[in-house]
Amino acid sequence: MSAYPEPTGPLLETAGLSKHYGGVRAVDELDLEIRTGETLGVIGPNGAGKSTLIGLLSGAIRPSAGVIRFEGEDVTGLPSHRRARLGIGRTHQIPQPFGRMSVLDNLMLGRLYSAGSGYREARRESLGILERTGLAPFAGTLAGELTLLRLKRLELARALALRPRLLLLDEIGAGLVESELAELIDLIKGLRSEVDSILVVEHVIDLIRECSDRVVVLDWGKMLIDGEPEEVLADAKVTAVYLGTGTTQALAPARAAEAASEPAKPLLAARGVTAAYGSFRALHDVSLHVYPGEIVTLLGANGAGKTTTARVLSGMLAPTGGEIVFKGRRIDGLRPHSIVRLGVAHCMEGRRIFSDLTAEENLTLAGRTARSAAERDARLTAVYDLFPVLKKRRGSPGANLSGGQQQMLALGRALMAGPELVIFDEISLGLAPVVVDSLYEALAELNAHGVAMLVIEQNVERGLALADRAYVLEKGVVALSGRPDEIRGDPRLRALYVGEAKGES
Amino acid sequence: MHEVFAATPARLRAARLVSAAGLVALAIALATMPAFASDYTLLVCFKIFKYAALAQAWNLLAGYGGLVSLGSAAFIGIGAYTTAKLTIATGVPLIPAMALGGVTAAIFAALVSPALFRLRGLYFVIATLALASAAQIWMVNWNGLGGASGLYLTVSAPTTRGVYYMSLVIMAAATVLVAGVLRTRLGISLRAVRDNEDAAQEMGLWPFRTKLWAFGLSAAVMGVVGGLQAARLSVIEPYGSFSLQWTIDIVNIAIIGGLGTVSGPLVGAVFVVWLGERLADYPELHVAITGALLILVIRFAPYGLWGSLLRLKGETIWSRLRRRS
Repeated sequence: MSAYPEPTGPLLETAGLSKHYGGVRAVDELDLEIRTGETLGVIGPNGAGKSTLIGLLSGAIRPSAGVIRFEGEDVTGLPSHRRARLGIGRTHQIPQPFGRMSVLDNLMLGRLYSAGSGYREARRESLGILERTGLAPFAGTLAGELTLLRLKRLELARALALRPRLLLLDEIGAGLVESELAELIDLIKGLRSEVDSILVVEHVIDLIRECSDRVVVLDWGKMLIDGEPEEVLADAKVTAVYLGTGTTQALAPARAAEAASEPAKPLLAARGVTAAYGSFRALHDVSLHVYPGEIVTLLGANGAGKTTTARVLSGMLAPTGGEIVFKGRRIDGLRPHSIVRLGVAHCMEGRRIFSDLTAEENLTLAGRTARSAAERDARLTAVYDLFPVLKKRRGSPGANLSGGQQQMLALGRALMAGPELVIFDEISLGLAPVVVDSLYEALAELNAHGVAMLVIEQNVERGLALADRAYVLEKGVVALSGRPDEIRGDPRLRALYVGEAKGES
Repeated sequence: MHEVFAATPARLRAARLVSAAGLVALAIALATMPAFASDYTLLVCFKIFKYAALAQAWNLLAGYGGLVSLGSAAFIGIGAYTTAKLTIATGVPLIPAMALGGVTAAIFAALVSPALFRLRGLYFVIATLALASAAQIWMVNWNGLGGASGLYLTVSAPTTRGVYYMSLVIMAAATVLVAGVLRTRLGISLRAVRDNEDAAQEMGLWPFRTKLWAFGLSAAVMGVVGGLQAARLSVIEPYGSFSLQWTIDIVNIAIIGGLGTVSGPLVGAVFVVWLGERLADYPELHVAITGALLILVIRFAPYGLWGSLLRLKGETIWSRLRRRS
């Protein structure tokens, strides 16, 4: 850390900053200081008020009380465009692109308004920022056509186009594999010479540890602790409310014995499946099988075809070749609702809760495959047993649930179909480690009731800890498969995972 | 709006040359048309140009700015009445009076915008519709400008050639205006506000000002067209000048032609007016066919007839270029 200039006085400070939504205090009397020259990490459980804090600082959200000072000036009453021109730039946790504009034009705006560049100059400088953030090949693409990860990259690029003095980053590291994360960390470190201060909200602890000079932990809108990264991350309170154990080790040994006696007939078998988006071939040759009651993990770099595989298996995307058999019946080419009826549920990436419906309505809607009301109620009870918090919040609209509760709801919704096999796609994305722990415990419990699972997971260790068997995808082909212990020891896993991702971004 | 990066400079230059030559040929044809065309043809052209200019103005607002206004009739009516009253009361010549009609419409737009821009999405749409309706009711009941019986213009009505050329110039000006705006900061701002107003504001843009520019410019074009319409008719009354039919026709043309493209409204106007002339003897059939067409376009060609064609063409050229490289 000594390579950086010594942090000095505050660039921004808040006093008694509060935001209340009805009776909920999202941010509660927060006194925060962002010093000139520092990178401040902000961590905390889902619903701790981190994104609200960023909204308050950028001017998108009006505070209920308190003061925000930027360079000593009171900016509390300034609308967001005035703050952007002062040099406060932000990214959004859920990307907010200008969808029908090219990626390049998305950046132009910040250059033209806040950085005060001329049109040609703005164009050249924007291309430079795209180059740096790895988006140059997509300069002419409509932003709405980018994948989630590239949209997150675009958020960063767009904030940089403001030529910000204070950069507020809201979970830009989610969903990245190690090599991509390393690149992002380098990028953020490289920004320190041109941006005065950076505030990083993140669940990816490695990024926080590598980039921050100081870490603040928020819990229920209040500051829990403020200090040096290592000291904060080692704190017992932080472990309790936020970090959790970070592993799912208890499961693996118990399952190893069972897995030894594999039944001969797979529940689900995919053979030589190919799939494409337009002219882009996403899957070249994917063969995999899941036996009854088994947990299979699907690993691979971003863009390797994991989500596409899930979409093909659940009927969301029609395969262009190969065959998929579930319980002896061909299901490739069937519509998603027919596949669900047969017993394959899909818990999609990105939660996709019906935000206006209550938690219980979300669940009952998914219970339509039940043959009777009694059967549906039994399933509902089972979901509530698995996630008691959902029962407590059954009457709340989906939009009002915290991130972790929403993900539980998404899981519960998949289970309401009464499946024999569930496909879980990236259920840990954007969740606090301690919440991920509880989700994985729920998966294990679910599996103990005999439900087979195909789990797509970014975190290799977590994925392998849970699995009976694992497949590793590379460029739309199964590159490696086997038992977790075999795979974990295979040097090709690391090479594939890390090497492949480099070519990707 | 797709930028084709793989297109080589030489090919782009050739394409530009061809389209420039086409534009010049079209301009010559349109400028010399009155020399050989019949009065009927010229009046059909007047209708096309008038609607093309209106649809172009609405396209700037709704297609690029995402501000779906159903208040077009108010601005056309204000332009018509301003032109009429000015020529009657002060003897201002027609053309300056039409220009002032545009200015008045823009001022009216600026006056109502603080209230309108508080509303977003559907609420904005309904508010503009209510505004136009209120303006019409006001004009019917207020005797200051002739009330329900309207005004008789004292300037002699322009000749058929006159309205042809005036409408041609207005259409050309509106098209150049929109194409020009798209090349400026305002063009990018408008599209950004359309796609995500809050994110745009966080990039340092004040959405109110961007929307005000678009609203004012489009109102000005509509006001000028209203003035021309008044001159052509010689007599105006609120039921015609402030008619909801204007608003509906403009939306039809812009959507059928293609929102968010500069050429879409022009093609849409040609098509819709041509269809109207062919079916002039069967007004019910005309309404039914236009309605059915609108539904089909929205369902199967969301970028409009012309817009979808452009996209299709763009993609094939794009993929061909890629295959060669």
